[in-house]
Amino acid sequence: MNTIVILSVTGIAAMMSDVFKLKKALFGLSLLGLLIALVFSVYDWGQYATYFNQMVLTDNYAVVFTTMLIGITFLWFLMSKDFFSSHSSASEHYALILFSLTGGVMMTNFSDLTILFLGLEILSIALYILAGSDKGNLFSNEASLKYFMIGSFATGFLLFGIALIYGATSSFNLQEISAYVQQHNGSLPMYFYAGILMILTGLTFKVSAVPFHFWAPDVYDGSPTLVTTYMLSVVKMAAFAALYRLFIYCFAPVYEFWIPVFAIMSAVTMLLGNITAVYQKSLKRMLAYSSIAHAGYMLMALASPGGTSRSALMFYLLAYAISTLGVFNVLYQVHKVTGREEIKSVKGLFRKNPFAAIMLTLCMLSMAGIPPVAGFFGKYYMFVSTLNGGLTWLVLIAVLSSLIGVYFYFKVIIAAFQEPELENTAYYRQPSDLTVLYICGILSLLLGILPQFVAGLL
Amino acid sequence: MDLIISLIPLLPLAGFILIGVLNKKLPKGMVGIISNTTVLSSFIISFYLFLSFIKGADSYSTELFPWINAGGLHLGLSFMVDHLTAVMLLVITGVGFLIHVYSIGYMQHDEDYPRFMSYLNLFVFFMLLLVMGSNYVVMFAGWEGVGLCSYLLIGFWFKNTDYNNAGRKAFVMNRIGDFGFLLGMFLIYQTFSSLDYKEVFEAAKNYPKGDPTITAITLLLFVGAVGKSAQIPLYTWLPDAMAGPTPVSALIHAATMVTAGVYMVIRSNVLYMLSPFSGEVVAFIGMITALMAATIGLKQNDIKKVLAYSTVSQLGFMFVALGVGAYTTGLFHVVTHAFFKALLFLCAGSVIHAMGGEQDIRRMGGLKKYLPVTHITFLMGVLAISGIPLFSGFFSKDEILAATWVHSPLMFVVMAFTSLLTAVYMFRLYWLTFHGDFRGTHHQQEHLHESPSVMTAPLMVLAILSVIGGFMGMPHWMSEKLGVHHVFNEFVAPVIYSPKEFILSHTFDFSLLIGTIVALAAVYYFTRKMYVADKVVPEEDSETKSFQKVLANKYYVDEIYDAVIRKPLDAISEMFYKIFDINIIDGIVNGIPKVTNLTASAARMLQTGRLGIYLVVMVIGVIYLFAFKLLL
Repeated sequence: MNTIVILSVTGIAAMMSDVFKLKKALFGLSLLGLLIALVFSVYDWGQYATYFNQMVLTDNYAVVFTTMLIGITFLWFLMSKDFFSSHSSASEHYALILFSLTGGVMMTNFSDLTILFLGLEILSIALYILAGSDKGNLFSNEASLKYFMIGSFATGFLLFGIALIYGATSSFNLQEISAYVQQHNGSLPMYFYAGILMILTGLTFKVSAVPFHFWAPDVYDGSPTLVTTYMLSVVKMAAFAALYRLFIYCFAPVYEFWIPVFAIMSAVTMLLGNITAVYQKSLKRMLAYSSIAHAGYMLMALASPGGTSRSALMFYLLAYAISTLGVFNVLYQVHKVTGREEIKSVKGLFRKNPFAAIMLTLCMLSMAGIPPVAGFFGKYYMFVSTLNGGLTWLVLIAVLSSLIGVYFYFKVIIAAFQEPELENTAYYRQPSDLTVLYICGILSLLLGILPQFVAGLL
Repeated sequence: MDLIISLIPLLPLAGFILIGVLNKKLPKGMVGIISNTTVLSSFIISFYLFLSFIKGADSYSTELFPWINAGGLHLGLSFMVDHLTAVMLLVITGVGFLIHVYSIGYMQHDEDYPRFMSYLNLFVFFMLLLVMGSNYVVMFAGWEGVGLCSYLLIGFWFKNTDYNNAGRKAFVMNRIGDFGFLLGMFLIYQTFSSLDYKEVFEAAKNYPKGDPTITAITLLLFVGAVGKSAQIPLYTWLPDAMAGPTPVSALIHAATMVTAGVYMVIRSNVLYMLSPFSGEVVAFIGMITALMAATIGLKQNDIKKVLAYSTVSQLGFMFVALGVGAYTTGLFHVVTHAFFKALLFLCAGSVIHAMGGEQDIRRMGGLKKYLPVTHITFLMGVLAISGIPLFSGFFSKDEILAATWVHSPLMFVVMAFTSLLTAVYMFRLYWLTFHGDFRGTHHQQEHLHESPSVMTAPLMVLAILSVIGGFMGMPHWMSEKLGVHHVFNEFVAPVIYSPKEFILSHTFDFSLLIGTIVALAAVYYFTRKMYVADKVVPEEDSETKSFQKVLANKYYVDEIYDAVIRKPLDAISEMFYKIFDINIIDGIVNGIPKVTNLTASAARMLQTGRLGIYLVVMVIGVIYLFAFKLLL
């Protein structure tokens, strides 16, 4: 609760800092706000409380995800320090990111479908603008417009679904809906199930699951690199937190209805994402497709709910977000200095900075799911939980598609260790520009060595 | 105290890491100091432990950490020191330290000196792990580790292809043996549900003598010993292993690693006691190996090759002792052999050093006056290995002969003949190297010089040990007279399960003694006459004829292995490569990316970038979803 308030206040303060000539303090102010929010978020650990007539809920699930969201955003701020300061409208961009984060936090704390909708829209609208924040770039404008159009379309589905659910159960509240469904299981009207499918459509659109993924490559590729990073890490995390909470807490009694949908979606998503990524020459676009594939793996948690799926999803999201930040830090710096985004533009990184190349390797290994880094345990927990859920075929597909993934993730690693294409290739202005990469690489390794400390939280 | 024992292996490991990481950044002096002090410290601790055993300590054990926990299998990385281990510790760290000192002088001028010393330290670590493990798995870890170090050190001068091939040969031959060792461990675990020495041996005591499972276990373990200790049919790697620097030959391929197989059999003596058949096999293999290697040794002209075949032969002696049940005697021979064989190798190194890398004894001769210290110490080694009474080899070898007499007189005859051959080839080596006229080039003669004291000091220490080392195990008639016991046997006795007594009549002992003296005197006389008085020099390789040629070519065993095993294997793998690999495996492997690429390009087609199509596909998706869940 306090977290949401603090984040909103920080966002408003950031927006107004321009007026009060505090632009220089903007960066520190935002980081401070994030830190305070982080402290308040952690402070809620172990408590269970509801606010605003049971519309907002704080439990350990919410605390873990909120903390992860704020932590990742914090790292994101660290790596994008120079981006906004070079912009004339920096304060707006800072504010939009903070608002978007507020929306994301609401999506993890909701106990009411209206809050879910509000959170999703607060998150999304800020992103529609951010996607187009590179005003002079045609691709950025295109991304913004496409994202907005298709996003509105998906929001329509979500709203319609919420309406249908309300029609069937006459409530927006998760507990009440859950109780009603429990009580009337078997005699629920058809439009209740239609409502579930509508909501499912609206939310799986946000996580870019096949067949609602078409916007993702264009938007991820067209948006400014840092905004893409934010979408891949924070937005994906918030959307999955909301999706999982809604279906596990609310629609659990009719799980037999929606489990097959998620299972098939998961299989198709991971296969299509990985296969399409193979063909990409641009590192950014490859990562966009790989993010679709990762959404497929994360959907496995919904295909086999219960058991350890919750901690598996949490761990997977964390591992993925960390490695994404690390890789994008490199991509952003390389792009900034050389204007290139191809995989081969990291050639020779090892020659110039061995440590950076090793950290990049750790992040890529984490994405590919190879021990001893975090991504391996993300996949491992997910596969174990799915096996316990009895979906052996899904795990088989997941393992096979991971093999495809190894192919293109290793292209990046190999490139980093190859000889440079041009002599004196510049990958960054100064080594400290890659601080976030170092942090992410080390975090990936730590999480890979001691996964149980984090995985045991939920 | 229990914790201190883990320092023994960990110190050399620390030395390895320190030198290995800093490598050439360390000054050469520091490299020598670090590698030597770590091994010396281990020796001091070992000696301290040894004293406590003399005072009556039973055994020490400690577990560093639990290593493998899987199902019913619980293994710790745990160490144990008992009487048997204590003896091995003294040999490894003691002789090891002397060889480390020697290496400072021998390897100082090699550009990879730090790498060499770090490998030596690593070897000592693994060897200590091998003898200190309290279960078969730790022993196996050490077992593999010393194999690795052996490989690394044989191919130390890796720019020479022949040396690399020798290293590879050693590794492959050892792997064959390791396979047997592994199978043996599997069978032990299956039978006893444990791999811990104590538990296994306690449980084994309930089995009847001649139990087929125990026989299978012991035979499989022996396969491992055959590989590591270079017995027939896996011995061919050891002579080739002489490609490594001479200190390596002394430490790894004479004094310590090759006796690992002997150690393992002694350690498992409870099991071997229960299987008389395995005992027969061990003794038989040992006997054949001893005889065959000794005959080959007669016709070798490379100073190190002679010593290498002598090592194989002496290892055969040890296995004969183990096979007939004389475990303490086998261990006794391990100890004395470590002294005199390390000494002989180091002397050979000193000779090679002086000769500027020349190893062929046909190019030597008359070195006595140029290398006085090396000459005297080498002579001590020769006297010891030949079994001259009162030198160390005499005590241990006579004990083995006595034990074979009790077991089977025929075996005694073969072994006695073999020890005679030993004296022949050793004296041949001695005369040809140190007496007569110098046969090398003029250039070599000018460079002849005695080695520095850092090399000769270890020689002297080892020479003293080779001379007096035997008195810890005096034969019955002698100890009775002097009123002292067979110290060695008594010390090791607690480790041996129901030790056999091999006490013979004094008449036999004396006739053996007399026979030894007469035979050796004859050998001395005839070899001296042949190589010194008549100045016979072995002919060049091309002139060798008939059976001598068979011996010089080591019975063509390498060639036979090549024809019977390597060539058919090559042919089969060639066939599989051409038919199976290229067509089927490559076909599948190359096919998968092709299909993936095709699918990927098809999927890419859908990504047109047109918003309208995206929306249509999305709606189609929703319709499918509804059709799938609601309408069907």
